[in-house]
Amino acid sequence: MIVNYIKIAWRNLKRNKLFSLIHIISLSIGLSAAFVIGMMVYYDFTFDTFHKDGDRIYRIVSHIANSQEVYKNRGVTALLRDAAPEISGIEQTSYFHNWGVATAEAEGHNDIKRNPEGVIYTDSKYFEMFNYEWAVGHSSNILDAPNEVVLSRKRAKEYFPGLKITEIIGKHIVYNDSVTMTVRGIVENLKERTDFIFDEFVSLETARNTDSKNQVFPKDWGNTNSSSQLFIKLNENTPIKTIETQLADLAEKHTAIYFEKFGVKRSFILQPLADLHFNTDYGIFNNSGSEANKDVLLGLSFVALFLLLLGCINFVNLNTAQATSRAKEIGVRKTLGSSRKQLISQFLGETIVLTVMAAVISVILSIWLLGVFADFIPEGLTAGLWLQPQVLLFTVILVLLVAVFSGIYPSLVLSHFKPREVLSKATQLPGGNAGVRKFLTVFQFTIAQVFIIATILVGRQIYFMINKDLGFEAETTAYVVTPWNDAGYSQKEVLFNRINTIPELSLISQGGKPPASLSRSSSLVFVTRGTSEDKLDLEILNSDTSYFDTYGLQLIAGRKPLNDTIREYVINETTIEKFGYKTAENALGKELKMTDGTFPIVGVMKDFNQRSLKTGINPLAITGDIGRGEYTQFRNVHFRLPIEKENLKTAIDKIEKAFNETYPNDHFEIIFNDELVANFYRTEQRISTLLNWATGLSILISCLGLIGLVIHTTERRTKEIGIRKVLGASLTQVNILLCKEFLILVIIAFVIAAPLAYLGFSDWLQGYTYRKKISWWIFAASGIAMALIAAFVMSLRTVSTAMKNPVKSLRTE
Amino acid sequence: MKADIIMLLELKNIYKWVQQGGRRVFLLKDLSLQVEEGEFISVMGPSGSGKSTLLNVIGMLDGFQEGEYHFMDQSVHNIKEKQRSNLYTQYIGFVFQAYHLIDELTVYENIETPLLYKKIKSSERKALVSDMLDRFNIVGKKDLFPSQLSGGQQQLVGVARALVAKPKLILADEPTGNLNSKQSEEIMELFKELNSSGVTIIQATHSEKNASYGSRIINLLDGMEQG
Repeated sequence: MIVNYIKIAWRNLKRNKLFSLIHIISLSIGLSAAFVIGMMVYYDFTFDTFHKDGDRIYRIVSHIANSQEVYKNRGVTALLRDAAPEISGIEQTSYFHNWGVATAEAEGHNDIKRNPEGVIYTDSKYFEMFNYEWAVGHSSNILDAPNEVVLSRKRAKEYFPGLKITEIIGKHIVYNDSVTMTVRGIVENLKERTDFIFDEFVSLETARNTDSKNQVFPKDWGNTNSSSQLFIKLNENTPIKTIETQLADLAEKHTAIYFEKFGVKRSFILQPLADLHFNTDYGIFNNSGSEANKDVLLGLSFVALFLLLLGCINFVNLNTAQATSRAKEIGVRKTLGSSRKQLISQFLGETIVLTVMAAVISVILSIWLLGVFADFIPEGLTAGLWLQPQVLLFTVILVLLVAVFSGIYPSLVLSHFKPREVLSKATQLPGGNAGVRKFLTVFQFTIAQVFIIATILVGRQIYFMINKDLGFEAETTAYVVTPWNDAGYSQKEVLFNRINTIPELSLISQGGKPPASLSRSSSLVFVTRGTSEDKLDLEILNSDTSYFDTYGLQLIAGRKPLNDTIREYVINETTIEKFGYKTAENALGKELKMTDGTFPIVGVMKDFNQRSLKTGINPLAITGDIGRGEYTQFRNVHFRLPIEKENLKTAIDKIEKAFNETYPNDHFEIIFNDELVANFYRTEQRISTLLNWATGLSILISCLGLIGLVIHTTERRTKEIGIRKVLGASLTQVNILLCKEFLILVIIAFVIAAPLAYLGFSDWLQGYTYRKKISWWIFAASGIAMALIAAFVMSLRTVSTAMKNPVKSLRTE
Repeated sequence: MKADIIMLLELKNIYKWVQQGGRRVFLLKDLSLQVEEGEFISVMGPSGSGKSTLLNVIGMLDGFQEGEYHFMDQSVHNIKEKQRSNLYTQYIGFVFQAYHLIDELTVYENIETPLLYKKIKSSERKALVSDMLDRFNIVGKKDLFPSQLSGGQQQLVGVARALVAKPKLILADEPTGNLNSKQSEEIMELFKELNSSGVTIIQATHSEKNASYGSRIINLLDGMEQG
């Protein structure tokens, strides 16, 4: 029986090539989207799920709140590490601290490894909490003494190629040319997906002799460092509440003077291990920001769901519309003794055959898609994920679900046919419920229409943000970054002087950050207003005086600072307003009361956007390199680039040469401000790419379905068209007649889609301080576009039908 | 009634009508009929006299409003879909004027289909289908599709398919309506032969000649049996 079903399914596919193609294309698009996105979801949700008792492991993070906002810091003060074991209800604690190492030199090897990643200070408890397997060594008595290091097997192989791992024990590694470490053990790298990507484990005690001393062994509770990570494992059946209470007590008890003075309150928060991979507030353990975003995953899942639905709808619509062509077979089968159930399973079987074919195509497609969407897809996600039993099972279940979902309604309609009706010659055959088909078509076009409108709106917002005048020169400016481990000023001055001689460049200056960037630093200012004294944030940019010209910043009152190191401030207009200075002239000569003294305001400049246009303009001031004695702020050399292409190339080559002469061992990095600004909107641009695809694909699927329905109706109406033409209808009139019933559906879809898109988009726009207005013509245009696309697709078929010779079409009836 | 005669089916006072413009139009009116096993009945009458309707009612393809219908001691007037398909697989074979072969299946597969629904084992199926192909001399055509056959050949396949499951009753609604006279004759001869081997046949026909093959003729006019 099953062979018989499959056979007839296959023959049906072959006989209706066009319709089979439509089905398979629509379903494969939906399925490939579901596969790729399903894998992404699976991938991100299977991080660090393998830890023993992982549901009892929490990270403690810090929230530092002032009157205006809460700063979320993934780290804690290292002193909490020593206090935590006192907390009752905790089974285990584990502390580690990221160490940024500049160089590591393995004994017996001449090449020095630069900036090795994944180096942490920790102790043996770390390996116990996170279930490391030891290749050599044991977690007892290890990393107790200073200058001990444990390596991962991978890193050990890199440092000591050619040595057996047992021979590596006892070897030495010199960090930063100064600290000599002894290898005491080797652990296996964690085999499953994890965010704990560390390879070198340095004993905590070592930190006492390095630059991390103050972070790992701070003197008071005032210090909070995002590199200091504290994990705890609760006892079984310990309510989180009891731990939270004790942490709150600890925070209360150790309210540092600093906190009291600046009016901020710190609290310790428990973050479950399972939340680690998703919470963008805290991030993982580094700044690369590779944590997953649940909202994005949710959005993607919706896109996949919609595309799948659209594919299923095509199947339902075309199959019920085409039902008449199967009617005779159904009638005959019933007289041959087939029960309704058997017929239903026959049709479901056919649907499954078709869906499986679509699935096979989708597997190939999604391997290709993984490449196309590389931007969205985490590096570790490859098609190899399919070999995992859960993913395989998901795939099979999804395919079956899709088959049943698309097959069930048509098979109910089909199997309902009465043999007497379908086998007698004259009766007009029922073709399922045309109302259902219309509803589903409207649904399809609503989705397509929403996607179209959203694409245009998001695209316009991005274009607007990237191209808006930010109040400073971003198009033609760039800067060179000096190496982060060069803390002094002298080399930076050498580099500046070298770049200053390059004739192609103009308006060269030294300074910290560019006017707009993702990083921020600010100082607290005490502002007296009436009787109260407010503590307000003032963002600080450090620069020399020519920085103003380099970036075209305009002074509207006062003057620039007198020299490059003097502590005089030029504030922006927003500061005047927020600090209550009323006018620019009034602000001049006022003093800024800061934690370390009082300093004069000497100038006022026009506002510019110091960050993405999602946020507004904050109080900001420019001052000189005020900390040069200890730590220079002038880390970058800024300049205007030549406009001509050739000059630009020579200029950049010369800059690179100057850099390499100054820092022969370091990596040259030039940052163009326009790219930096565009990068603020990377998420938006990804959304935009995604929307483009979703729009294209949903239009494609919907139009495929539409053309199928049009073919079906025109076939049914051949005779009517013939009669109308004999009665004198023109080609256009016939065409309009044929398209009308579908165009009405497209218009209904538009009427539903427009307000949906409007509401959704306005909601999205709330996240942006600077918004491009939503204009009515976008809706009109996208509605008309959709209608035109639909009309075009329909006319592919209706024109040929309308042109048919009526003599022929009437004769065949 | 003689003891060795077995009643196959019995219709008692069947009324069937449709509403048309507020009026009842009778398709069958007070029709009673007894069919014994082994009979060959021809139902005759002009177009619209209710021949097809009667056959549809007998074949349980169509219902009726009043009356009783017993098929092999089962009352059909309140039969369930499931039981009906069981009756089809067990006892009834249909032959249609328009042949109604399944276009997507080969000759062999068309004949095999009733056996699939009867859940007969593969080896036995093969034997039964081969028998039919032999008997109807269509072995050479077994892998062809219906569209590749002439009308007469298609109807042969149709009859073979109706017979393969060894039904007690063959219902044939104008089985030769689409055939030329030579092909008609072949089919009628075949029916006669089947009937003599014990299969009960009820056919609807316009043709006196075809009707003469049967053992009994029922004349219908406006849904009523005529004298």
